[in-house]
Amino acid sequence: MSNEHHITPLRTYLIIAGSLLFLTGVTVWVSYIDLGSFNIILAMAVATLKATLVVLFFMHLLWDDKKNLVIFVMSLMFLGIFITFTLLDTGFRGGINPEVKTAIKSKASFYDNLPLTDTHGNPVESHEDHHEGEDDSHH
Amino acid sequence: MSHNSSSPDFLHHHFHDVDQQYQTSKFGMWAFILTEVLTFGGLFVAYTVYRSWYPEMFYDAHLLLDVQKGMLNTIVLISSSLTMALAIWAIQKKNKKLSLWMLVITWVLALGFLGIKYLEYSHKFEVGQLPGIFYSYMGPEVVNIDNPHIFFGIYFIMTGLHGLHVAIGMGLIAWLIYLTKKDKLHSEYYTPMETVGIFWHLVDLIWIYLFPLFYLIG
Amino acid sequence: MSENQNINYLNHPKGIMSWLLTLDHKRIGLMYLFSGIIFFLIGGLLALGMRLELAAPGNDFVSNDTYNSMYTLHGAIMIFLFIIPAIPGALGNILLPLMVGAKDVAFPRLNLASFYIYSFGALFAIYTIVNGGVDTGWTFYTPYSTQSTSNVVPMTLGIFIIGFSSILTGLNFIATVHKMRVPGLTWYKLPLFVWALYGTSLVQITATPVLAITMVLLILERFLGIGIFDPALGGDPVLYQHFFWFYSHPAVYIMILPAFGIISEIIPVHSRKKVWGYKFIAYSTLSIAFIGFLVWGHHMFTSGQSVFSQIVFSFITYFVGIPTGVKIFSWILTMYKGQVSFTTPMIYALSFLFLFTIGGLTGIFLGAVALDIHLHDTYFVVAHFHYVMQGGTIIAFLAGLHHWWPKSFGKMYNQKIASLCALGVFIGFNGTFFPQFLLGLRGMPRRYATYSDQFSELHTYSTFWSTILGLSIFIAILNLMWSLRKSNKLNPGSNPWGALTMEWTHTSSPPHPHNFESDPVFTNGPYDYDKVIVEPTLKK
Repeated sequence: MSNEHHITPLRTYLIIAGSLLFLTGVTVWVSYIDLGSFNIILAMAVATLKATLVVLFFMHLLWDDKKNLVIFVMSLMFLGIFITFTLLDTGFRGGINPEVKTAIKSKASFYDNLPLTDTHGNPVESHEDHHEGEDDSHH
Repeated sequence: MSHNSSSPDFLHHHFHDVDQQYQTSKFGMWAFILTEVLTFGGLFVAYTVYRSWYPEMFYDAHLLLDVQKGMLNTIVLISSSLTMALAIWAIQKKNKKLSLWMLVITWVLALGFLGIKYLEYSHKFEVGQLPGIFYSYMGPEVVNIDNPHIFFGIYFIMTGLHGLHVAIGMGLIAWLIYLTKKDKLHSEYYTPMETVGIFWHLVDLIWIYLFPLFYLIG
Repeated sequence: MSENQNINYLNHPKGIMSWLLTLDHKRIGLMYLFSGIIFFLIGGLLALGMRLELAAPGNDFVSNDTYNSMYTLHGAIMIFLFIIPAIPGALGNILLPLMVGAKDVAFPRLNLASFYIYSFGALFAIYTIVNGGVDTGWTFYTPYSTQSTSNVVPMTLGIFIIGFSSILTGLNFIATVHKMRVPGLTWYKLPLFVWALYGTSLVQITATPVLAITMVLLILERFLGIGIFDPALGGDPVLYQHFFWFYSHPAVYIMILPAFGIISEIIPVHSRKKVWGYKFIAYSTLSIAFIGFLVWGHHMFTSGQSVFSQIVFSFITYFVGIPTGVKIFSWILTMYKGQVSFTTPMIYALSFLFLFTIGGLTGIFLGAVALDIHLHDTYFVVAHFHYVMQGGTIIAFLAGLHHWWPKSFGKMYNQKIASLCALGVFIGFNGTFFPQFLLGLRGMPRRYATYSDQFSELHTYSTFWSTILGLSIFIAILNLMWSLRKSNKLNPGSNPWGALTMEWTHTSSPPHPHNFESDPVFTNGPYDYDKVIVEPTLKK
């Protein structure tokens, strides 16, 4: 029975794992270099390369029944449809009424009652009087 | 069509033969993977929409995340994917002991992932970087940006749902350890190990995207 | 068929535990059937209650808040507790393995789990009903749903749980169709109901996960104020609508595709004629399943989404009607020059053709943005979706019940009463819902318990005919149940309609617990009425 199943060689697993760790390092290193809007594209490209290695080798799709690969690709396609068509709305608001592009109030209301804090989250004395004496609890 | 005494005991009655059962089980798991992609996918849509609306807020808020812990977690998960694959390799090679060890290491790595996550989450709870209306951190990094609670809301939901899947995976791997120890899984029949393995690699896959999207915003 | 005629899946094995822990797909199908019918009747009573309120202007029967809960529960129960789970779950479960020559579905234990998950989720819906209802509309739009003090969380939690049942059923059916077909049964030899269930299942596994995450996000928004759907927290309520409709539009195809499959089975059998356009029908099923994912924004034309997306969604919406039209023509051409017998299933099938066409065409009206701006949230929309969901799906479901009842139970119902009810349903349905098109065009908004006097005449007609509709459906179901009594000696035989698909030709009525004696060998295609004569075992 297991004779009919393809057994991935140990070497392959180790090479793929090594590549994944290497690519992780690459992603982290590149994120510290400012490439503007290219950063996200590069990050996603590397992530996709890593994902492809996992899917084809660790999840065995390279040697499996091709139907399983079709299922996986279809899932990505429908996700792509979901994202793309939603962005057709959210990215193009204000086509007729430009005033809907900007928020009426940019910050949620509960921020009005939030005191400034230090890096440990403890409230600090601020210059504005009506923040004094308030503690962390709000709403 | 009817099974006789020479049919293996792991063959279920409604299947003709072992291969049909094996292929069907894997096929079923891939169909399940499709559903998981779309479940998490919904959250990726929310992420994409809000990052496209608030790019500076996402950048500023993400500086509060601990990149080192995130990277450590990535290494942990990738290693656990390797050990999971090696567990299957070992059982295919009839090495029950190695397979069990690989499963145990996978389980421990998963626990490690959750442990690191716990450290991250507890720090955020302490300083008030919480989802939604519970958000209270107003430190110098975020004082000039709008609505950081949205970033943390999406962060907690996505990493939380992912963490839940890690925990479920741990349960499944423990079940595999039990089955292997009892010799119910062996070189002739290891289908559950393969299907759980596919699930586990998916968990790794999702983190491969979560890590740069939250921790490495350029 | 079998040597021991008395052993069938109903009486073997015996005992209540053998039912509660059954792995037999036919028994699981029956459990879905009876649960589904119960929820159908509850949803129907809610509808009649609404019609009672609407018979005259003013709040004579219920308050506005109660009315809001009634239409919410009516919609949620009909959609999530009856149509989506029960029609694939009942007819699909009973028939799919039989039609592909398998002993059971691919994952029988998962099948039982699906039923129990559905039942567990249904408990939350029952709790919501008795605890005062929920008043957001079945669409749970934010920000009201994040603020309403009614039972939003129990209901959405119930829907979330039932979603898992839907996903697991779909997964099971896909694996069954791909992997469990008897050798030699290629795709183009499959009955069209199998194609329909396959298409439905593809939609189920792809769309329902998004419903699940939407319900989770809604619940989290209520508890944690995450801020992605609530404008006061910097969020966008239209985003909720995208999430919701990404599932709920394909969901309407989950609701109609099995119905199309039922009609595709009934028309050739009761016309004793080969299906015209088998491949057209098969491929149009897959086209509908796919295109259905690209059009969800047509539910959001007045929501404030971008004009660009309005145009895209409206344009693609026009394409989704084309494969459906192909089916209607194929069915009509199937009947042409056939020997049509006006049995109860056929009467329902003919009603379907008429009513669904009206429903489908009015959907196309609504696909035009300019029209929809005026018709959105009016009774025109209400009439449209009742024509497709009730005139379409529910009538096809009744057709299927009457067609496969003798196979499933080995008993025959009183056909005169059944046919009379079918006529009553057709007449009552048109009387109830056609006036609603007119109401909508004249401006009557939906989800209103009361209205101005100009609408009262049409509302009164609608309510009057709704009683005929309700009575006809109720008696039709009673008639079916009545046929199950022990003293019913009307034995339809194993193939009462003389059909050619495997569930008729290779199994007894009711079928044996393991379906087939041995691997079925089939010598004809599913619709070869031009080549093979099979005498109906039901004497006229």
